[in-house]
Amino acid sequence: MATPLLRKQLPDPGGFVERRKSVRDSTALRLLSAERSEEIFPILLEEILALGFSRALALEVDFESGAVRPVAALKYQSSQLQKFQSTLWASENPLISLLHGLKPAIVPAGAWEREPLYCHPLIYRNRNQCWEAERERRRECLAVQNFRSPQKLQLQEQVCASCGMRAYAAMVVVQISRDCTEGQLRHLRNLIETANRYLARLFKVEHYYNRMRDMDVTISQMHTVMQSMADPVILTDSHHRVIMLNKAAERFFKLPEGVTEGGARAVELNNLYFSAALSSMAVSGTESHRDLTLVDVMEGEEVLFEAVCAPTFTSDGVRSGMVTVMRDVTDLRRADQEVRSNLQKLRDAEEVVRQDRDRLNLVIENVGDPIVVADGAAKMVLLDPLAKELFGMEDNTRHPAVVRNQARLDAYLTAFTFSFADSQNRPLRLHNPASNSEIEYAARSGKIYDARGQVAYTVTVLRDLTAWKKVEQLQLERRMLEVEKFAATGRLAGTIAHEINNPLEAIKNAIYLLPGKLKPPAHPVYDILKSETERVTRIVRQMLGLYRNTDQVGPFDLNSVIDDTLTLFARQLSTASIEADKQLGNLPPIVGSADQFRQVLSNLVVNARDSMAKGGRLVIRTRHLRATDGLHGSVNIVVADTGCGIPADMVQSVFEPFVSTKGEKGTGLGLWIVKGIVENHSGSIRVRSRQGKGTVFKLAFPIVR
Amino acid sequence: MAKAKKPEVLVVEDEASVLLTYRMMLEEQGYIVSPALSSQEAEALLGKKRFDLVLCDLSLEQNHTGFEVFERVRKRDPKVPCVMLTGYANRETTERAEQAGITVFFKPIEIDDFLQTLKTILRNSHA
Repeated sequence: MATPLLRKQLPDPGGFVERRKSVRDSTALRLLSAERSEEIFPILLEEILALGFSRALALEVDFESGAVRPVAALKYQSSQLQKFQSTLWASENPLISLLHGLKPAIVPAGAWEREPLYCHPLIYRNRNQCWEAERERRRECLAVQNFRSPQKLQLQEQVCASCGMRAYAAMVVVQISRDCTEGQLRHLRNLIETANRYLARLFKVEHYYNRMRDMDVTISQMHTVMQSMADPVILTDSHHRVIMLNKAAERFFKLPEGVTEGGARAVELNNLYFSAALSSMAVSGTESHRDLTLVDVMEGEEVLFEAVCAPTFTSDGVRSGMVTVMRDVTDLRRADQEVRSNLQKLRDAEEVVRQDRDRLNLVIENVGDPIVVADGAAKMVLLDPLAKELFGMEDNTRHPAVVRNQARLDAYLTAFTFSFADSQNRPLRLHNPASNSEIEYAARSGKIYDARGQVAYTVTVLRDLTAWKKVEQLQLERRMLEVEKFAATGRLAGTIAHEINNPLEAIKNAIYLLPGKLKPPAHPVYDILKSETERVTRIVRQMLGLYRNTDQVGPFDLNSVIDDTLTLFARQLSTASIEADKQLGNLPPIVGSADQFRQVLSNLVVNARDSMAKGGRLVIRTRHLRATDGLHGSVNIVVADTGCGIPADMVQSVFEPFVSTKGEKGTGLGLWIVKGIVENHSGSIRVRSRQGKGTVFKLAFPIVR
Repeated sequence: MAKAKKPEVLVVEDEASVLLTYRMMLEEQGYIVSPALSSQEAEALLGKKRFDLVLCDLSLEQNHTGFEVFERVRKRDPKVPCVMLTGYANRETTERAEQAGITVFFKPIEIDDFLQTLKTILRNSHA
């Protein structure tokens, strides 16, 4: 409750009218000097008492709680004031009833106090509209409404629709004497009304002040919010001029101190881009967004933003500018890009895997041998059609033979899967339901490991050993037939050669006897006779070599054949200063014709000897290459010399008949016969030669277990 | 060096033309050659005189072989050097001949090598 200012009691100098006028003027001046609404009531009460009334008080309504209580009083004791405290809902209280009626009235003596009371309710009201209503051309101003039609006090209506101001309500209570005149009362009423005008004005000013304070707080809060946002926020006016920007935005649009020329240019460009973006976005009346690439002035990096732009409007719906919030989407776009490219990679990889799988399936289906793929727990996961026949995946699982096969395979797979071996080859006897017979298979298994080194899968290929052995047998028989054919050819050639041999011997001897018995003109003829006869002699020798009437096909020891051959040529080799180097490995027996092998070696040794006219080294090496699969192996023979070598253009054709590097000395049949014999034994022969360095023959013969 | 007695050589060969050329060649070399066309002729000649060297073809008339001739030669004089000529160069016959100390030449022969070998054999047997 405001304390009334002490006022010097002015003596009543003259008549009532003068006094009234001067009082009115001075009262107006005093009320005008009030700076706060709280000062109005004390001044008013003093003025009322100055008019000669004995005592007065002001009651105020608290709109929040509905409480009615004295805010200022003169000549009342605080105990007496208690009585005036009430609420708006205390309808039995005559003062409250008067307050609701908003009209001044007199509470007669005895109704409330012993003396009559003049009660004057006050409410926020004004003859003129408030500024907001005036500017916005609205009709609804609470002050004017209250002025025009003082109705019953309605709490919920006491808020101005234009400025949002809540009105005040109060009541001035003055104790009057029973003989109070109408003039005195009118005077009192005018005084109170004048005070109310001042009060309304002050109240309005205070309302504006409070609103300004609130707005200041709101603005500072908004500013804090804006500044604390990590995304750049920019406020622009309707001409796209920047009104405000936060720190994040300053980074791009404001020139920092001591910026480089490049930085300044970047800021300039950023502003340009932003203005352009803003203009394009401003076209649409609602919120819009677009991508914007700006340069970070400090870092010098390009940053991709998504700018979201919303127009701002004044309270009367006029567009006042834009708020632009920019979101850094560089990482987002980069991540998006990465996700896309990863997806593509994944799709590509998937395609590769699919193709690989198709290819693998194609391979598995076409191997022609049963294939079983099992997992790390030795459980079958994939069978090719042939394996399905044996182990059943579909309808034949109940067949007793299939069940037996499954048991055998399970035992085999379990043993292999949990063994330490990476691969293994084992025979496996299975029942073939198709042929209804027991068949021996060669099972070859390998392991596939996962990333942790655990067995992920095992792959087992079953080879029908019976069929394989049959094929081997057939091949052997065919080889023997070939050998026989070759031997027959040899026999024929040998017989012919032998028949020629004796006449040839006579001719040769006769020619030998000729020299000295011829006249010189016959000498060239003699030379031709001699050299051509020698050629025929060599051919006959070679053909005789093909014929061996002891030719037998069977197992024999190749090393001893080599020993024999080298012994046979030992004298010739040492005469020619050729060092023979034997490196013979342990060999299994070879099946074939020992005599034919003897001829092969003889021919090769003779060729080597002939190539080393000035001596050299002859190496004969044999080696047994063991089978890696338990089935196939080979015996390899190397015959190497350090002789003159074969001319490069002839290497390809040395195995053809009647091709010789020895000119008149050779028959051109030696290597042809060698190749024929080697191939008859299912072998292969290769030659490598460098002129002046030497020649290497490599022979390989398959060995079947 | 006193002039040595010419070596006596028996040559057995069932082909007349071949036999003739051997004979002429050997005579040219200074040997005294007694030619025989069959094992029987050879047998007859062996009975008449002693030879320093016997040359014989492996295959003779009908089923007769040079080995028969060599056996008879050796029966009379185990030290007489024997040389076998053959067109059928097979392992068995070669081994058999070599075991019996018979030098083997395969037809068609290298004449120079052949003549040189004969000289060496004769020199060794007289030493």
